[in-house]
Amino acid sequence: MKEEKKGFLAKEGVRSVIASLICILGGLIVGFIVLVVLAVFNENISFAEAFKGIVTVLGGPFSAGSFHDAMFQLGNMLFQSTPLIMTGLSVALAFKTGLFNIGAPGQYLMGAMGSLIVALSIPTSVVPPVIVWILALLTGILLGVLWGAIPGFFKAKFNVNEVIVCIMTNWIAANVVSWVFKVTGDNFINYAETKVNFIRKTATNGVATWSFGLNDLFGGSYLDISIFIATVIAIVLYVVMNKTTFGYELRACGFNKNASKYAGMNEKRNIILSMAIAGGLAACGAALWCLNGSQDFKWETYLTLPADGFNGIPAALLASNNPIGVIFASIFLKYLGAGGSNLAAHTSFNEYVSPLIIAVIIYFAGASKLIKDLLARAAHKKKTAAAALADPTSRDPGGGPKEEPASGTANPPDEDSAKDDLIAEDENAEGGEES
Amino acid sequence: MDKGRINESAPYAVEMRHITKVFPGIVANDDITLQLRRGEIHALLGENGAGKSTLMSVLFGLYQPEGGEIYKNGEKVTINDPNDANALGIGMVHQHFKLVDVFTVLDNIILGTEPSTLGFLRKKEARKKVMRLSKEYGLNVDPDALVEDITVGMQQRTEILKMLYRDNEILIFDEPTAVLTPQEITELMGIIRGLAAEGKSILFISHKLNEIMEIADRCTVLRKGKYVGTVNIAETSKEELSSMMVGRGVKFEVDKDDAKPGETVLSIEHLSVKSRIHKKLAVKDVSLTVRSGEIVCIAGIDGNGQSEFVGALSGLEKCESGSRIVLNGEDVTKKNIRYKNTHGVSHIPEDRHKHGLILDYTLEQNMVLQRYFEPRFQHGGFIKFDEVRKYAEGLIDKYDVRSGQGPLTPARGMSGGNQQKAIIARELDRDHDLLIAVQPTRGLDVGAIEFIHEQIVASRDAGRAVLLVSLELEEVMNLSDRILVMYEGEIVGEFDPKKTTVQELGLYMAGAKRQHGGEGGDAE
Repeated sequence: MKEEKKGFLAKEGVRSVIASLICILGGLIVGFIVLVVLAVFNENISFAEAFKGIVTVLGGPFSAGSFHDAMFQLGNMLFQSTPLIMTGLSVALAFKTGLFNIGAPGQYLMGAMGSLIVALSIPTSVVPPVIVWILALLTGILLGVLWGAIPGFFKAKFNVNEVIVCIMTNWIAANVVSWVFKVTGDNFINYAETKVNFIRKTATNGVATWSFGLNDLFGGSYLDISIFIATVIAIVLYVVMNKTTFGYELRACGFNKNASKYAGMNEKRNIILSMAIAGGLAACGAALWCLNGSQDFKWETYLTLPADGFNGIPAALLASNNPIGVIFASIFLKYLGAGGSNLAAHTSFNEYVSPLIIAVIIYFAGASKLIKDLLARAAHKKKTAAAALADPTSRDPGGGPKEEPASGTANPPDEDSAKDDLIAEDENAEGGEES
Repeated sequence: MDKGRINESAPYAVEMRHITKVFPGIVANDDITLQLRRGEIHALLGENGAGKSTLMSVLFGLYQPEGGEIYKNGEKVTINDPNDANALGIGMVHQHFKLVDVFTVLDNIILGTEPSTLGFLRKKEARKKVMRLSKEYGLNVDPDALVEDITVGMQQRTEILKMLYRDNEILIFDEPTAVLTPQEITELMGIIRGLAAEGKSILFISHKLNEIMEIADRCTVLRKGKYVGTVNIAETSKEELSSMMVGRGVKFEVDKDDAKPGETVLSIEHLSVKSRIHKKLAVKDVSLTVRSGEIVCIAGIDGNGQSEFVGALSGLEKCESGSRIVLNGEDVTKKNIRYKNTHGVSHIPEDRHKHGLILDYTLEQNMVLQRYFEPRFQHGGFIKFDEVRKYAEGLIDKYDVRSGQGPLTPARGMSGGNQQKAIIARELDRDHDLLIAVQPTRGLDVGAIEFIHEQIVASRDAGRAVLLVSLELEEVMNLSDRILVMYEGEIVGEFDPKKTTVQELGLYMAGAKRQHGGEGGDAE
């Protein structure tokens, strides 16, 4: 048993997952404290209500009340996770290559604009909807690629900090999108419904992502296959980053620009490429959301930036920048969001507790390196103590540094950690379902 | 040396008994005993990775040993963290200084023990104490200068003042001379002697035998994590110390036959390079050739354009127009780094952390840093992990690169000497006609130096052209077939190592003499 435990913590992937779980637990504890404090200071709210509150948040979509509502919320949760997964991947990829892509909101907006214009402009009576859908997606991605490449270009050529350029491109995008739709207004703006400031749903042109009955299965939600597309992209990204020469280069440039240059890599090209791909990923998320067919895109964006663009940062942090982990982190964040809505609907609290919990989790995620280090320390202490006590052979004079290559297996390569990520996060999701 | 200062009858200032420290895959310290007398300068000698730093980290509270005890003045103590060490009067100057670059010298000295009233600093008091200590021990610093603006020597004096400010009695110096110029080393030796004369006990970690012979009273030798012995310096010799350290006799001279230079491999014409720092020419109109089968060495004091020269040659720096670099008869002036890498240039860079390695990559990933794209290591863009592993294991074996977890060791976790060996393995194993080696033995112990020198000579004997850039005159004299002295970006003299002396080279390196033309120089 002790042996197992030791080996368990010794794996870096396991430590990453445990660190993430500790972050989540920390957030939940703080959320619970807030609920209790609210209950104490408000005589209309009983103490039991606080327990009900935290259980509701924890239950996510399952706190909806009825089975049908739960399925409905679950479907929408999965659908809404799609853009978050994509922006999360965008941020994670940039982090892996040593860049901070805070420009995902701008790239997201450009992607939304590109895909909507194409989806609504090409008459489906002439071109089959499938083709329009694909063209719209590609246009969105392309615009995102260009938008992401801008900060990459300035970083590579003039060494301008990408964060500054990203923030500028965010607001430029917000204004460009508003301007374009204002100018072209009549073609795209939704006048049919009584809502204002929204673009027409792409379904009005017959363009919508296939749902193959998923929407009906999940209580008439918006769920379509985009969640699977995002998952496939995450897996591809994982493979590219970890198994290919291209990923090897990108990560090398992220870790040490000078050594990469010395080794003959084109570090400037790699910076631009990495930002361009990050931009494409964020834009793809927006396009998948818009092309669902039934979504209202608010075109007057010049005062606000899309939250999912920024939320990619916590998703990436919570997943330790592992693409597979991003899937679970994103779903989990949306899961808490659904819990927050139910909190407002079914208890005396308002829904803002769940963003609070998410915020605390993100604070903890910022310190996940520290948590991981502490775990590593604990593992190391146990291991060395055990080794010194139980295993006299480890002190064998012949056991010099060179003669023990076998111990190399103690440190798993990345792919293992991803598998662990998968399993542990899975368990976590299931835990939520039970409650 | 004034031996009277050492109190041999009093209990040891610090005694480490039977210390054992185990890391995954390595017993870093195996039953090591170290006894430091009050007022003594005690050297700790060992190869890279012998366990010196680990032992000091145990003493400093950074690691907890699995076995053994520490006594201070005869009393058993436990040291859980550096604060405990500090409270016990143990201070350490790390090899890489732990200073805040944007703080002043004074701020750095008091950092962590700032005297304050209600949260407000009482800097005047601190300044008085620092100035007093500075005068008392001859540690000349400017308390108001920013650390980033001062010389390495002054940074080190700041570190020493930091220890004295905390009233430390036991001062640990981890390879203090590695980063210093010869003048600064002389000065440091004086300071250390002064400290010992004041009753401080000093642990001096080094693998430079000359320094130990010069300054230490006693020396404890470690080898591969084990205690070899403690000797009185007055009763030993450099040869004895080195064989204790390496476990065999070490040659200080490099065995090599006369060079048999063949065809010209590298020819540089009118190379000029601008400095990145001050934008003026750091290399001025340098022309030289290197033929196959010879080792040409560029000697000079650090900062005379060697870095920029090598940078331009490898492609890391741009050269000015009119410069021409010809490799094997082909003009490669405008070619990129990858082209040069794949067309016969191997390069052991000056700064192994900045350029040589990606510290967050594993050893095997670093071994293929310039080759990962070759068909041997990838197929359709997918890395062949098995091939990489096999290749790395081969190199590790051939060049005796030691690490805790073999090819999977993160480069960051390896000792400096083994990091350097890894780079040398990688560069020498690549198909090359020209080897550019910059400071290839910086910070390494005699055993590793001997090995690397042998490898460089072997490369020459295999018909490669070798361009060596070194600041160490001993290395220059030992290894080269032809010496070029660089001063302020120009080649000021060419010498045959057999017909010149260190003294003569020194004059050229300092700019006091020059051979070719030049104003004010004495023609030879």
